Amino acid sequence: MKITFFRYFVRQAMRNMVENRLVHLIGLGTMVIAFLMFDAFILIFVNLNSWTQEQGRSLTMSIYFKGEPERAVIESIKKELLQYPVSTTGFISKDDALKSLRKQLGEKAGLLDGLGENPLPASLEIVLSRDVSGDSLPYELKTRLERIRGVDEVQYSQEWVERFQAIMRAVKLIGLVFGGLLFLAALFIITNTVKLTIYSRKDEIEILKLVGATNRFVKIPFLIEGSIQGFLGGSVALIVLFLVYVAIITKVDLSIGFASLDIIFLSPQFILLLLLMSSIIGFTGSTVSLGRFFRI
Amino acid sequence: MIRLFHVYKSFGSKNPALIDISLTVPKGEFVFVTGPSGAGKTTLLKIIFCAEKPTSGHALVDGRNLMRIKDGELSSLRRRIGVVFQDFKLLPRRTVFENVALSLEVMGVPPSMIRKKVHQTLRYLGLADKEGYYPPQLSGGEQQRIAIARAIVNNPLILLADEPTGNLDYDLTMETMALLKEIHTRGTTVIVATHSQELLKGTRRRIIALHKGRMV
Repeated sequence: MKITFFRYFVRQAMRNMVENRLVHLIGLGTMVIAFLMFDAFILIFVNLNSWTQEQGRSLTMSIYFKGEPERAVIESIKKELLQYPVSTTGFISKDDALKSLRKQLGEKAGLLDGLGENPLPASLEIVLSRDVSGDSLPYELKTRLERIRGVDEVQYSQEWVERFQAIMRAVKLIGLVFGGLLFLAALFIITNTVKLTIYSRKDEIEILKLVGATNRFVKIPFLIEGSIQGFLGGSVALIVLFLVYVAIITKVDLSIGFASLDIIFLSPQFILLLLLMSSIIGFTGSTVSLGRFFRI
Repeated sequence: MIRLFHVYKSFGSKNPALIDISLTVPKGEFVFVTGPSGAGKTTLLKIIFCAEKPTSGHALVDGRNLMRIKDGELSSLRRRIGVVFQDFKLLPRRTVFENVALSLEVMGVPPSMIRKKVHQTLRYLGLADKEGYYPPQLSGGEQQRIAIARAIVNNPLILLADEPTGNLDYDLTMETMALLKEIHTRGTTVIVATHSQELLKGTRRRIIALHKGRMV
């Protein structure tokens, strides 16, 4: 494309947006709302998803012993664990467990003095090193370990992770539908905004055609305009989302009973992706409305 | 330059606007198309610059068959035809300069060249001091000349003028006609549609008379 043409196209697009600023502002406002809902949804979704994956990945398992285990028992367990994807192991003796409980109780630690014998079991804590969600491995390991002499019980945090993952699958599905609807809404808004500006410039288009403009020459400024509008809508939505994030989310402790959920803002890659997507929506919306117009 | 063979044009079920029009306008001719309102003058011009397609018949302009013209060819053909519309068709929110520059912008002429040509044309038409004005700020005669400026700024092969003097008083009419004749002397084929008998008085140019869509 000739540089002269390009300059003309961009100038035309800018001029059109300024001349039809009211239409554009209304369109922009509506689009920001649509994009904002979409972005907020993405933010929550991405966080929940990475968090569940994290939980699934770092599944912890506690092996409790009857009394103080012999070194040989621990060694045999460790040997057993070698064939499993276990990243860390840590032994907590009866004394360690009591010490840690004392620490947790703080001032009330005196309560423990009344106990004759230490009632806490010794345990071995292990963390599975890969994602075992939907896997039968934790269950297998549990039954195997419980068969070892001296082992009282094996507990792991799998159950709720699995339940949570089922919820996440539902959220994904809802997200797909919801995101799709928001996408269509944004497309619809852009299509109509651009259509309004096209109609307001009907005479100009006619004259351009009569003095020998190609269809492409007439269309390109509108496509640029739609893309810019989409990009602006996407940017404003992200800025608003970020401000809301800073104002509210960082100040509120989001704990879901057992684990706190740190909401992290969208990564730069994700932000770029969303901006690209909103520009593409803008471009597509313009294409759709231009197609309709030029058919007339 | 322009050849029409048995051209018919009808809009829906109404009386046809053009009936069996055959004519040839050679390169460099100055022709009047005349007839009362509704005779088909505007439709005839529209067919020549491809704003309308003939319902039947054939039309050749600068060697192109208008019945089979593609979008790309259409725009390049229109760049070789300057049109002065009856209602001027100026953009009210663009300055005089921008209105005239439009014909060059669609061709991708570099800005420096556009500036030069537009200045030149506006000076030629006595509008040099008006280039920053918007059309609604100007008189009918001035708007007329801007429309002419836009039509000739890219040196078209053909100039079509639809009732170019329709809204003008006697002096301005004479001035405009003199201008069109001058453009013609530079080698442009000129076709002027008018209902004014005044304009045709004493002319030695060819006159194509239309009545209810037929050549008479």
